[in-house]
Amino acid sequence: MEYEKGYVFQPKDTRPAKKRKTESQGLHASWQLRKKAYEEAWQIQNSRIEDALASIHSKALEDVTTYLNEIVETPLPSRIPTGIVLSGPGSASSNSLSSRVASSVQSHKRRLYVTLDSGSAPHLKAVLKVLIQKATASVAEDEDDDELATISRKGPRLLNYDLQILYEYVRDRNIEQVVVSFPDTEALGSALLSELLELLHSWLDRIPFVCLFNVATSVDFLQQRLSRGAVRCLNGRLFDAAPSSAEAQLVFSAIAHPDARLWVGPTLLASALERQSDYIQSIDELVDIVQYAYMSCYYANALSIFLDPSVKSDSIPADHFEALRNLDSSKAFVESMIENGNTTRARDLLESNDNLLAEVQEQMAHGKASLTKMTTALDVVRTIQDTLPNTPTSLKSNLFIQAMTCKLRGSAMMRTMLLSVRKAQSDVAAALMGSVCAADIADDIKEDITSLKGQLAELVAGSTAKSQPLRSEDDIGSSTVRTTVVAQKVHLSKQKSQLSKQDAAYTEILRKFSDHLEAYFDSSFIDPQSLPFHEIFIYDHKSPHREVFTPRPRHAVERALTSPHDYLDCDCCAPEKGEDGEATLSSTQPAAAVLYQLYLESGNLINVSDLWQAFQAVMGGEKEEGDLMVLFQRALAELRYLGMVKSTRKRADHVAKVAWRGL
Amino acid sequence: MGLEMLPDESRYTVGALKEQWPCREPQLRQLNAVLSPTLPNPPALVAYGAQATGKSSIVRSYLETSRQRHVIVQCKECVTGRHLLERTAAAVHQSLQTEAVKGDAETYTGRCENISALVSHLQRMLRQVDHYVLVFDGIDRQREAPPTLLPALARLGEFITNLTTLFIVRHAPPRFLHHPGVPHIHFPSYTRNQSIRILSNEPLDIFESSFPEDMDYDEETHAEDKDWLWPRFCAAVWDSLAQSCARDLSSFRDVCHKLWRPFVAPIHKGDFGTRDFSRLLVAQRKLFQDESALSDSIIATPTAQTSVVKSKSHDLPYYAKYILLAAYLASSNPARLDQIYFMKSTERKRRKKGGGTARSGGGKPSQNRKLPRHLLAPSPFPLDRLLSILYAILPHDFRSTIDVYAQIATLASLRLLVRAGGIGGGDPLEAGGKWKVGPAVSWEYVQNLARTLDFGLLDYIAE
Repeated sequence: MEYEKGYVFQPKDTRPAKKRKTESQGLHASWQLRKKAYEEAWQIQNSRIEDALASIHSKALEDVTTYLNEIVETPLPSRIPTGIVLSGPGSASSNSLSSRVASSVQSHKRRLYVTLDSGSAPHLKAVLKVLIQKATASVAEDEDDDELATISRKGPRLLNYDLQILYEYVRDRNIEQVVVSFPDTEALGSALLSELLELLHSWLDRIPFVCLFNVATSVDFLQQRLSRGAVRCLNGRLFDAAPSSAEAQLVFSAIAHPDARLWVGPTLLASALERQSDYIQSIDELVDIVQYAYMSCYYANALSIFLDPSVKSDSIPADHFEALRNLDSSKAFVESMIENGNTTRARDLLESNDNLLAEVQEQMAHGKASLTKMTTALDVVRTIQDTLPNTPTSLKSNLFIQAMTCKLRGSAMMRTMLLSVRKAQSDVAAALMGSVCAADIADDIKEDITSLKGQLAELVAGSTAKSQPLRSEDDIGSSTVRTTVVAQKVHLSKQKSQLSKQDAAYTEILRKFSDHLEAYFDSSFIDPQSLPFHEIFIYDHKSPHREVFTPRPRHAVERALTSPHDYLDCDCCAPEKGEDGEATLSSTQPAAAVLYQLYLESGNLINVSDLWQAFQAVMGGEKEEGDLMVLFQRALAELRYLGMVKSTRKRADHVAKVAWRGL
Repeated sequence: MGLEMLPDESRYTVGALKEQWPCREPQLRQLNAVLSPTLPNPPALVAYGAQATGKSSIVRSYLETSRQRHVIVQCKECVTGRHLLERTAAAVHQSLQTEAVKGDAETYTGRCENISALVSHLQRMLRQVDHYVLVFDGIDRQREAPPTLLPALARLGEFITNLTTLFIVRHAPPRFLHHPGVPHIHFPSYTRNQSIRILSNEPLDIFESSFPEDMDYDEETHAEDKDWLWPRFCAAVWDSLAQSCARDLSSFRDVCHKLWRPFVAPIHKGDFGTRDFSRLLVAQRKLFQDESALSDSIIATPTAQTSVVKSKSHDLPYYAKYILLAAYLASSNPARLDQIYFMKSTERKRRKKGGGTARSGGGKPSQNRKLPRHLLAPSPFPLDRLLSILYAILPHDFRSTIDVYAQIATLASLRLLVRAGGIGGGDPLEAGGKWKVGPAVSWEYVQNLARTLDFGLLDYIAE
């Protein structure tokens, strides 16, 4: 063994001694099936989200590429052409505009695309090295036969930060454009950036450079940071990337797509969107949240097996049906069936798995259809808001969250909207009816509204005063307030102004229209919690996400140190009763926890000798001083490692308190 | 050295060049006198003068016209001192290669680590050449130059007798080459008349594409008119703006080019004729009062301002704004006043601006005057102070999660928060590291931020 440097481990027995459970049991048995179903479902959903995100940047992307093409055709000799993409702070994500520009430029044979991020750039030499390396490597990969030409270059070897290398490369391959992109412009040092730009500018007559800056703050900020000479080197044009809130809305509409197998519930969605605007502006995070919701639903909820519409009853283990029957909504469903006198059907569902499966699939299809109907109604609300004057259009996500939590029906917003429909003038009303008819609504309502629209058109055509639109009786403008003073008392009396016959007829039509709309909204905005088997296809659990996406590291460390008993669960240091949870010191607690509690009681500067004496007093008792000192020193080192204390120059025998509790 | 002594050929060179480079005849003569191939040449030579005085271009065109063997090394393209040496050697090698096609088997390895290597390379390569001029353009601004670079280069001519080294620098301090007797050629800045004369050599067009039809106008009168109008315009620009802020030729030219189009716009409209200079000047006096033409900007056209308004949608997330506000407060308020300003439990009893207490006495100015804090540089603070101020200023309860730290990291990468020294300042994991707000976070910026949040910033700023 001693003379061997390594050896191949060959176990004699392949089977481990302990018998493993190779077959999962109970509800876990369907895990493989569910995993497959998840992969399928997420793939569909993910491609939907990708499509949505690809469409959002298409305009800005087109602008940037046309700009780059323009420069190839009409080069600017004196200044470096520069595209400045204004994007939000979360623009470093993989879906951002700059990466899309990169992929579109890289597909071009005669162009080079180099990304210089702040991590690769401590000083000018390193930046140039990276720039040359990336530029000369990007095409060489697919043209293997050309690689010799770069190596067998005539003349002396050049330093690897010499732009001459890039120049010769560009000249040999007839490169038209070298795009240098800075994805995080702000993070690059300003002196470095200025120097780099001036250097690139001096080579501009030989190498056709183009710069692309990704600016998260503002152009003024960038200009302030650059030296005057560097600013003079640039000739910029602004491009505006779509804001992250628009991205979030797009992703949301992909999530709430009618064909989605799983609906993400309102509380989860609300918290995700709120976090989006509060903290992060990266759309990837939102996509991650949705993916995690899918994963936790499929992996943890055994009933998600029923989400697959093509599932057969023989592939589902029997205990899944038992679980299904025990759902709250399923119990309520059967009970309501019995109350309605449909007892044989109820018995069937309780006894036959096949019947139950058929019923579940039917009810789920019905439930999803009503959710789809609800989202269509939300679209109708938004189109009405769009058409009505002086009404702000709500975000679709907000409406969705309100509707899913059953807060939209009869809300103040809806009432105001219907009221302003009643007050609308005839031209607005015609537009409203047109847009409502164009929406994807149920046929009977559509017919009613179409007939109303026809009546309105007739009325308007027959109206005498064609220049003025017809007015509704409910409009405030058609009633006047009259003030009379009788015996020193003011009487206010409302009086309807005279309405023409057409106006009266118009009012009648408008009232009918708004009644139809109200009925339509009432039927659409159902309570999703009342749908049978809603637990299966609506996922709405917040806590797994909270633990995973927003952990609280500092709080966890502090809590573990202040109340170690909660974690250790030992008998020795259980808090005494009557002190209701107040942390107490005892010698049985870990030394670091004891020291931390002493630390919390002290001021900014802690005398280590005092701390040691206090520690000794707490831990005291029968232990040797040497043993205690070991514990003390280790605990202090642990606190220091956790970033709680540091040594201070002010006093040699003191340590400084650095972290305060509860921040 | 009188000019009469110069041979005819050289006189001819100067004569050709002085047409091309107006107002630079003395310098050309000096150059000619020093570098003339028929006279003995100095080993080193310095051409100095401010920016845009024609040093490089005149040296280049002189050397090209007089057909001397030379090479010009652009020092601003060289990243390190070694880079400069290698490029010098390579450039000399290349220039000799292209000249001597007969192909002397001089193989050149390209290794040139230090000055002595350069000397030996040059000695070998210039053995057969009778006279050679080596020009270092902008050597005073060379990056990472070793301190011995300049004196060593100045003495190159002592080792290689047929070499003249020419240094082009902006400013030549006395004895910066540590070598006596180096001839200096000064390129003074152009005066008013010289600048205007140079610019009037290339007047811009009054009408860009086509002449207005109602005027009886042709190419010839247009050329005449613009020759008449352009120098007067340049003089007006010089007197109003350029003599104080854009004295060098290139920025003067930039300003003139920027202002010309708006200046002649009334002629396009037909309000004035092409020769109504004085009326035009009065009508367009706004142009000469506005100083915005003097400042450079990345975005060329000022019409792009509209998109800046649009970009407001890319503002920071809600908590990032509060973190930035807290950071500004931590940077500008002294730590000892934190209890007064941020304690939630006590009723804030602060003196308002201007209202003094009974003890503060009359209008006697205090011994040490205090600057307003927002004019001072931001002072560093530990991260915990930022967090506790954040808790204090947030209008609602707040559950601190990992997102806060992610926000701080984002702000740091945007340079809105920067690390500021302290013990272990370079290490982000070191406890008690200090931070401060970045240079972009000015008082105005923070005020805007506070306005968008509807946050009473003045209540928390210590006066």
